[in-house]
Amino acid sequence: MRNRPSLSLIAATTFAATLLGCQACGSLRVPGTSAPPSETVTVLEQKPSSAPTPLPNREGSLKFAVLGDFGTGDRPQYELAAQMAATHKRFPFELVVLVGDNIYGSERPQDFKKKFEDPYKPLLDAGVKFYASLGNHDAREQRYYKLFNMGGRLYYSFKASKQDVKFFALETTYPVPEQLTWIEAELEDAGEAWKIAYFHHPLYSSGGRHGSDLKLRETLEPLFTQHNVSIVLTGHDHLYERTKPQQGITYFVAGSGGKLRMGDFSANQPFSARVVADTHVFMVVEIFENEMTFNAISRTGAIVDSGIVLRRELSREAK
Amino acid sequence: MSPWSRAHALLLLGAVVGGAAIVPARRLAAEPFSQTRVNADARLLADFKTRVDDYAALLKKLEATLPKLPTEATPQQIDSNQRNLAGLIAKARAKARPGDIFTPPMQTLARTLVARVFASTNSRTLRESIMDENPGPVTLVVNGRYPDAVPLASMPAEILKALPPLPEEIEYRFVGDTLILLDVRAHIVVDFARNALPR
Repeated sequence: MRNRPSLSLIAATTFAATLLGCQACGSLRVPGTSAPPSETVTVLEQKPSSAPTPLPNREGSLKFAVLGDFGTGDRPQYELAAQMAATHKRFPFELVVLVGDNIYGSERPQDFKKKFEDPYKPLLDAGVKFYASLGNHDAREQRYYKLFNMGGRLYYSFKASKQDVKFFALETTYPVPEQLTWIEAELEDAGEAWKIAYFHHPLYSSGGRHGSDLKLRETLEPLFTQHNVSIVLTGHDHLYERTKPQQGITYFVAGSGGKLRMGDFSANQPFSARVVADTHVFMVVEIFENEMTFNAISRTGAIVDSGIVLRRELSREAK
Repeated sequence: MSPWSRAHALLLLGAVVGGAAIVPARRLAAEPFSQTRVNADARLLADFKTRVDDYAALLKKLEATLPKLPTEATPQQIDSNQRNLAGLIAKARAKARPGDIFTPPMQTLARTLVARVFASTNSRTLRESIMDENPGPVTLVVNGRYPDAVPLASMPAEILKALPPLPEEIEYRFVGDTLILLDVRAHIVVDFARNALPR
């Protein structure tokens, strides 16, 4: 565990986050971003004293949730799942992207029930579809589980039913060389405005236990940058984190869906924009045309981070 | 993953012996012992590859006799498929014993390869990563089902890179400090090497 911050610091970094609405942030630039100075990228501006960015809840938008490191079967998972269900009633997201560590411990049929089907029953009953990627604690045979919608594949892509969005799920525990060839071709061929990649191991993380996977970053980041990926969703470290745009891409860690490593992060990482390591968190996201609005919600229902991301290609065009 | 090619095995050899296979000829002449060691490791790795490939071939053959697992399976179907396959393997490998695949010399080499990774990185972080969700020592049986109560522990990428690659039907996992070969289709222990983590 490295550089465990004090509890007061944790509190200071996990206040209900506050970002300006998009109308106010059209061409703002995030201080400290690693993007070239002339490039207008993701437009986020933190204003701690103002209210969280509301989800527009527009008709015709793509609404989805993000969840990771959740399948414990313990009380925090169930409490966060209840918040997801409550959120779904007012913000009807149609799918949930799972960033791995879906079932911890034993994986008998009763475990799938206790650690997945029961806590998310209200969402499953409402027709919400879950699209999994696998974490380091997941058995590979989860790829056949029908409610994870992986179709027997360890890595896959799918097009969202609304807006111009394509998701790419990768397997980062035992990545085979064929996967790299596949993702390169998939990204090259994808003509969608929004390309969103998700997998377990984070390319950027302030987490104390694992941190950034530098080898994976070396391999994947150039592909994501080259092929206009706008957003990357990961887990593994048991916290929530959003980065400043890195070469135009915003990276999220949503690894506290059931597990939590209280306060275990390295403070002041240059890439980091927000860390929440004192409560369990899931994300809800709305994409409409060129904007993606996100809220990170805790198990008490507090919005602990929020903001708007512009799709990356548009950001480039805005130069 | 496609079966290993000979070229792949040679590349692997170069990687696992830490570059010793490509040292200049002049140096090799001065260090005949190193060359002997390289050859011994190469033989071990080739033998290990044959053994895991034979296992994977048997697994595929037996799996083909079972109904195909649907790509939209229930947990019951996944579980049942695993147990049926495990039953067939136990029958076909009734005489299997610890050390059949992870032979004692290969176990020693595996320990060396793991120790080399520990020596070249932050060993505390690496150990913490392996011990994440790792329950410690449990009783392991060749051909036995991976214990249901035991979580699957992390396999750091550095260690996976150092160890010889496996066919996709088998993966490395740590249980306590024991390195096991896990059959991911049947969810059974194929073989194991105790004390694989450096003290």
